[in-house]
Amino acid sequence: MGFAFTEENLRELEALAKRYPSKEALMLPALWKVMEQEGFISVEAMEAVAEWLGVSPMKVYGVVTFYEMFHEKPLGRHHIKVCRTLSCALCGQSGVLERLKERLGIEVGETTEDGRFTLSQVECLGSCGTAPVMQIDDTLYENLTPEKVDEILKELR
Amino acid sequence: MSEKVKKMVKITVDDRTIEAEEGAILLQVLLENGFEIPYYCYHEALGPDGNCRMCMVEIEGKKRPQISCDTFVEEGLIVRTDTENIRRVRRGILELQLVNHPVDCPVCDQAGECSLQDYYMEYGLYHGKVPKAEKLHFEKHLDLGRNVMLDQERCVLCKRCVRFTGNIVKTGELGVVERADHSHIATLPGRKLENGYAMNVVDLCPVGALTSKDFRFKQRVWFLTSTPSVCHGCATGCAIYIDHAKTKFEDDTIYRFRPRKNPDINGHFICDEGRLSYKALQENRLREARAESSSIGFEEAAAQMKKMVESWQGRIVVLADANLYIEELEMVQIFANRIGGKLHAPLDAYRDPAFEDAWLKSAMRAANAKGVERLGIDTSMPSSRGEVLLINFNHPAAGDVKARRQIDLLTHRPETFADLTLPIAAWSETSGTLVNEAGIEQRCEQALFPNDPVPTLMTWLEAWDLGERCLV
Amino acid sequence: MREVKIVSRRFDVPDVDRLDVALEHGAYKAVEKAFSMGSEAVLNAVCESGLRGKGGGGAPACGKWKLAAQHPDPVKFLAVNCDESEPGTFKDRQIITKDPHLLIEGIILTCYAIGAHDAYIYIRGEYHDFQKVLQKAIDEAYGAGILGEKTMGHDWRLDVTIHRGAGAYICGEKSALLESMEGKRGHPRLKPHRKEPEWYFGRPTLVNNVETIATVPFIVAEGPQAYRSYGTEKSPGTMLFALSGHVERPGVYEAEFGTPMMEYIERFGGGIKGGRALKAVIPGGASTPVLTAAEAAEARLDYESMKSLGSSLGTGGMIVMDETVDMVEALKNLLGFYHHESCGQCTPCREGTGWVDRIADAVVRGEAEAADLQKMLDISWTMNGKTICVFAPAVSGVIDAFVEKFGDEFQARLRSMA
Ligand SMILES: Cc1cc2nc3c(=O)[nH]c(=O)nc-3n(C[C@H](O)[C@H](O)[C@H](O)COP(=O)(O)O)c2cc1C
Ligand code: SF4
Ligand code: SF4
Ligand code: SF4
Ligand code: FES
Ligand code: FES
Repeated sequence: MGFAFTEENLRELEALAKRYPSKEALMLPALWKVMEQEGFISVEAMEAVAEWLGVSPMKVYGVVTFYEMFHEKPLGRHHIKVCRTLSCALCGQSGVLERLKERLGIEVGETTEDGRFTLSQVECLGSCGTAPVMQIDDTLYENLTPEKVDEILKELR
Repeated sequence: MSEKVKKMVKITVDDRTIEAEEGAILLQVLLENGFEIPYYCYHEALGPDGNCRMCMVEIEGKKRPQISCDTFVEEGLIVRTDTENIRRVRRGILELQLVNHPVDCPVCDQAGECSLQDYYMEYGLYHGKVPKAEKLHFEKHLDLGRNVMLDQERCVLCKRCVRFTGNIVKTGELGVVERADHSHIATLPGRKLENGYAMNVVDLCPVGALTSKDFRFKQRVWFLTSTPSVCHGCATGCAIYIDHAKTKFEDDTIYRFRPRKNPDINGHFICDEGRLSYKALQENRLREARAESSSIGFEEAAAQMKKMVESWQGRIVVLADANLYIEELEMVQIFANRIGGKLHAPLDAYRDPAFEDAWLKSAMRAANAKGVERLGIDTSMPSSRGEVLLINFNHPAAGDVKARRQIDLLTHRPETFADLTLPIAAWSETSGTLVNEAGIEQRCEQALFPNDPVPTLMTWLEAWDLGERCLV
Repeated sequence: MREVKIVSRRFDVPDVDRLDVALEHGAYKAVEKAFSMGSEAVLNAVCESGLRGKGGGGAPACGKWKLAAQHPDPVKFLAVNCDESEPGTFKDRQIITKDPHLLIEGIILTCYAIGAHDAYIYIRGEYHDFQKVLQKAIDEAYGAGILGEKTMGHDWRLDVTIHRGAGAYICGEKSALLESMEGKRGHPRLKPHRKEPEWYFGRPTLVNNVETIATVPFIVAEGPQAYRSYGTEKSPGTMLFALSGHVERPGVYEAEFGTPMMEYIERFGGGIKGGRALKAVIPGGASTPVLTAAEAAEARLDYESMKSLGSSLGTGGMIVMDETVDMVEALKNLLGFYHHESCGQCTPCREGTGWVDRIADAVVRGEAEAADLQKMLDISWTMNGKTICVFAPAVSGVIDAFVEKFGDEFQARLRSMA
């Protein structure tokens, strides 16, 4: 269960390091590479990042758990993040969330049995003008309605 | 390097005028001048962190209360520490501190030396007034390794332990994980504390979140007496308190060693090995006198010693432990002279390079090695030529000296008994002076007063009437 | 009400995120002018324009720029704040997707003025797709010699690097942002005791919001007076205000400072959704105290007016709430946000945000008593002005305004003690 960066990722990180006054600045970029590579950040990966950065593994652990978008465990193939904050709440996010729960058969924080979807609620996604919104993986879905949710789910495998 | 001249200035605190060094941390100055300021996160050795927000005071000219750990002394500063507003702030923050705290003082090891407990009593927030809101739950019994136990629920997140492992020993095993009110102290999964100074975090923790597995539940702190002394684990000579108690059912017993602040030597800390050395100190003690393997009375023993020494015709070698106090060593020196013996305190026996590190630990594992040198005592191993009577004052390498006859004066039971073996009081049962590696003299007070005390080294030498040097 | 587009002037130009199109529409013209003016003149222009920060605090750019520019350390940095996580705020993303070259141009001018050769754009992790647009523009600028060893042919290096955050609202706070960029948890730093720049790895650093930086090209190109000709004496120029919630046409629309709030809502937002009555407006992102409909009717979109109403302009992102909104639930929603986002570093905020959230929840469920509501206000008092950063005081302001202005709704939800 070890972890090693792919050669390409390592090369990219080394190149990026030249743009910063200290290698320690590469904590988030390195953790993002782990996320891209594995989909989550294992303890082994934290140790590898720590070694590469020259910091204590505990420091990496503290950072990983501070940021919402880093995960210590694998999630479903698609991560559905529904905005719960005020503008979305004012514009009907509850209907959207209910539809998602109903269609997926899971509650917030759960993953479907087939491992396809993990459902989360997140804070303001910076798209309040097109509320309600959700983000699936990196893609933003705006001006949602329960009907739109159905269509979107149909397109995702 | 030019020594920076300390500029003293005057400040006013609650109408009292105080002299303080310009630029000094206000909280430190207030504490040193006897003002009662509640605080958690500041520590003299760790510096300010500003996270607990308890140390607030009012500063004239500032609209809002300021944390005194991040306020620096300047001429004419006017400070108020006990206004109605400040009390309200402290009460408010304390209440928040308690909202997720279990308040399980009756079963908490820290009870009696817990800042949180002290403060909430003082600010009238005892049970019942403590919020009944549902508390968040965390791990209560995490074994962090190295004798350190963590109760995450009792933690106030002052980060002292994190700053100690991060900035002082630089091993960085501890950290804060998660955020908001889910924040808690942790180690990396699968890892534990891995440094030889880990137990200092127990002393640093202002509440009962970090406790010592070694001390847990053994004694309530209010039964303990603290006696200032010095660790005998190595030549660094860290200042310590010997915490001991004599209860109805038990003789005077040491429960722990704690660091005692000495800025010139150990600051606020000691190593774990030194801290735990109290155990070996009181285990396996020698309490009776022996002529070969049969037990004899003290008077009989004293007489035999005198007879053996006086009737001896050959060479006499005297060995002295480099952990003896200066006063004891001097007495042994006079004694050796008087009986025509050659005194040695061989230091090689104490050398332990594996123990040494870049911080406190010294490879010379004898507390008074420097004292031995100062007294001009021969630090080489004596040769064993001819017929030798060896008189050994607790030296660990006595076995390496070939002797025809041998008198041992020991604190602990030996594996084999010499011709005559006399028990002597351990360093915790007498008082005296040590000179550490850097040449600093320190006084150790007598901590233990056992019900049946073992004679001191001085007592055994009384028969020679060596003079009034005996201070013990 | 005058129409004015300064930052948004190229937003409607198709494909203006492409360098060739941007150049056709005047991008990077100010850079040439700046190099002929000299760095000090650029700094002076910004000072004279009265430009104020658009990230929420409204601090005059001039003072901050001078602190960085005048620091003797030859190595300085610019950190551009694109964390944009304040609920109700979604303006910076318009800039980086619709006109990324405007931001890059602003970065060049700013760095030139303060003497920085490395700029970092800290972008919230969720904006990954938008980040790609910005990165493409940066790559194009490098390719065209606009960035790199020789900025547009001048013997002056500038490197621009995007730094991706990973989901933490507090990292928008400038010192937490720099901590995060140093590879740490995003904990705000203790406030300095005297005026000084920010610090990145011990080097003097300027932190400005995306929109602030994107305003600089106009000021340099057209002169400070052109900027000052809009807005008010104390709030010169324009801002990308935004509307969300119950309006017909939510979105981001630039307007000059001093515009009456209701006029703005009518003109750009098309009025309250479905013609319903207005109940309240949160004027500048979730962290600014809520205004009642009556206050909104008086409000002008500038710093002075908002201050006089006991609120603040913040990020200019208005959240509009009509008569149907349950203000208790609205507060509960916001407190959920703060509870989740507190960095957890200092006691009053770490414990306070959780506690007020739980109390608000109890009020929503009709399980709270008058004493609980009072406790919420007490906690709010303890959170105000006693923490490391202004996150907690902002929460306190939010609570106080909701409870004070919509007290009836809260009282009605309390369990009676009969
Ligand atoms: C909790 C908190 C969150 C903030 N979030 C942001 C943000 O997302 N974007 C931003 O530009 N400024 C944010 N700020 C303000 C920054 O601290 C800083 O003042 C600003 O980036 C400076 O740029 P400006 O002067 O150009 O506005 C935040 C402040 C606080 C206290
Ligand atoms: S465990 Fe103790 S020392 Fe460490 S942060 Fe918690 S309260 Fe402070
Ligand atoms: S460093 Fe030496 S003197 Fe200090 S505590 Fe450890 S063993 Fe004792
Ligand atoms: S006020 Fe809140 S967000 Fe700011 S430092 Fe303190 S805990 Fe962190
Ligand atoms: S409140 Fe949902 S995107 Fe802002
Ligand atoms: S001691 Fe000052 S804030 Fe903790």
